[in-house]
Amino acid sequence: MSKKQNSQHVVKDDDGWAVKKGGSMRATRHFDTQQEAIEWARNVAKRQKAEFYIHGKDGRIRSKDSYGNDANPPKDKR
Amino acid sequence: MPVKDFDRNVFINCPFDDDYRQLLLSVVFTVRYLGYKPRLSIERADSAENRIDKIVSLINESKFGIHDLSRIVSTEENQHFRMNMPFELGIDFGCKKLKGGKWSSKQILVLEKERYRYQKALSDLSGSDIKNHNDDPETLVAVVRDWLVTTERIRAISGNRIWHQYNDFQAFLYDELVEKDGHDSVDDVQVSEIIMLMETWIRDRKP
Repeated sequence: MSKKQNSQHVVKDDDGWAVKKGGSMRATRHFDTQQEAIEWARNVAKRQKAEFYIHGKDGRIRSKDSYGNDANPPKDKR
Repeated sequence: MPVKDFDRNVFINCPFDDDYRQLLLSVVFTVRYLGYKPRLSIERADSAENRIDKIVSLINESKFGIHDLSRIVSTEENQHFRMNMPFELGIDFGCKKLKGGKWSSKQILVLEKERYRYQKALSDLSGSDIKNHNDDPETLVAVVRDWLVTTERIRAISGNRIWHQYNDFQAFLYDELVEKDGHDSVDDVQVSEIIMLMETWIRDRKP
């Protein structure tokens, strides 16, 4: 089991898209489009040096970027 | 012989192809998250056991049955209808109506993609409570959650919150299977392996 990490997620939420912190069951913010959610959440993830996951409509991970300050961060996977 | 966990077992009757995979995982996650035990025909790999015996055994051991008829309609010309799902629904329904005893307490949820579409192919179900999911896992999580909560009169977090947990689980899957274990994609891993990881994740992370 991987250890808990600071992460931000863009997920489908009702008719729009939500940004949520990893482990949280509540959305931080809602957006009409996925693109708006991605732009806002990516900035949060960069500020917080967090892992950044973009989920598809079915929940699967579409892409992940790492903004952590690890000396050997994982490469972006798209 | 007593049936172990009859009151917690949920028989899930659905396709196991790639097209349905994400819907299946969302159903299994919701059932498991609410403390029930998903039972699927793929859980037993004994090739000596014939398929119908396996199905009958799972139905006999499960108080609950979730039957998705959304894939019975052929999508291409000259393709056959897929009759396994309605056939297994019929066995479950027969078990509830004819076997007596605790089996008469069986609870059945029938799912379809679109509202009323099933009536064209299976008019015997007219008047039954059929729920539609529009091929959307988020909707399906809410439908399965609402059905179990209403049927069992239990309290549970909302479908939306379970959906958010499901998304966290998907991130966990990506980290474990792609980044740690080296799979090209989460989709390369068998459903039975994903369900094992799901059980561990829910046990360790559920608030």
